[in-house]
Amino acid sequence: MKEIENILGIFEATKLAIKDGDSIKLKELSDKTIHDASISQDSNSVAVAVVIYSLSKIVERKRYQKYPGWEKFKKTIITAIDNSIVALKKNDDEMFKKKLELIRNSISKLSGKLKKYIQEVFRRASINKASRIYEHGISMEKTAKLLGITMWELANYAGQTGISDVPLGKTLDVKSRIKLAEEIFS
Amino acid sequence: MKTDNENKVIIFDASTLISFAMNGLFEEFKNLKKIFKGKFIITKDVKREIIDKPITIKRFKLEALKLKQLVDEKILEMPDSLGVTDKEISDKCNEILSIANNTFSGRGENIKIVSVGEISCLGLSKILNEKGVRNVVAVDERTTRMLGEKPESLEKLLRKKLHTKIISKKENFKFFRGFNFVRSSELIYIAYKKKLIELKNGMVLDALLWALKYKGCAISGDEIEEIKKLK
Repeated sequence: MKEIENILGIFEATKLAIKDGDSIKLKELSDKTIHDASISQDSNSVAVAVVIYSLSKIVERKRYQKYPGWEKFKKTIITAIDNSIVALKKNDDEMFKKKLELIRNSISKLSGKLKKYIQEVFRRASINKASRIYEHGISMEKTAKLLGITMWELANYAGQTGISDVPLGKTLDVKSRIKLAEEIFS
Repeated sequence: MKTDNENKVIIFDASTLISFAMNGLFEEFKNLKKIFKGKFIITKDVKREIIDKPITIKRFKLEALKLKQLVDEKILEMPDSLGVTDKEISDKCNEILSIANNTFSGRGENIKIVSVGEISCLGLSKILNEKGVRNVVAVDERTTRMLGEKPESLEKLLRKKLHTKIISKKENFKFFRGFNFVRSSELIYIAYKKKLIELKNGMVLDALLWALKYKGCAISGDEIEEIKKLK
């Protein structure tokens, strides 16, 4: 129930941020969702995190707004968010899932470069959110499965972040671990 | 009759093989196996992540095929080559998975931190420990290693990153003791020390360690500097 309330609040704020073209607000909202997604790991929280992050990237890129089909896309997204809010208020999980899907599926109605760009934004958003969840302490395989991506994509992306440099991640001194490796090869 | 020295095992998690594969370090991997007095083992759950799944994805198909070749050439072997059945691993894995994923909780929910592939490596390691077979687990991803070596740090990390109070069943921590972990970075260091790297250049160790880090090996920049000083 608490998760539903959280998502509801986030979606209400998301709608306003899209209308205002406020990509920073959308990014903040996406960051909030990732903590919930890491703990609960329920598919709705994860999907919401990916969708809102994607929307932040889409709104941030002002050039997308010049492509034909932009206004229709924006209208579809806002309607889908409105419907998602209605589903959440009714506590209708199935309908909520369908409306979330509609946001992703609205890409298929786009054409040309905008379709290609936005498809790529959603794909990258899944990898980015996976990296954030891995950063939070959930294992690589667990996270990849949660986001529906491969460990290969996640490893490649996470390797280019500062995740491995967090001091808490050092669990044995370098000499001892090298010694372990040398001993097994002796 | 094999001596104890010829009875050693390195159990590979998918994360370590991915680091090797994405850097094209297949020859170095084969060379390491040549000097190893024992077996390189993967579980069926790891095989799924490194071969069965990626072989269906265009972007990773080549690497998956090359890893498959390592299995075909018996450079990587399955646990049955050690007389350990999938059922034994699966039973042990379920036990460890259940404990691991019920060790930390936040906001009233258990946090599921690990998955079957990673834990199958720990399961096999426990089975081999019980049989007296010397083994290490090669894992590049951070969470499994932290769970085994410093679960209290994992608790701190979860608390810091999730911005919430984390409750740990500390009595579970002892269950994860007794594992030995290495990463692709230590394995490549061995390859370097044993002169198994074909590329001859004073900078090659640095280049290899950073390449592994950039493909997901959980090693810090400081640790890389320390390893370089050991050469």
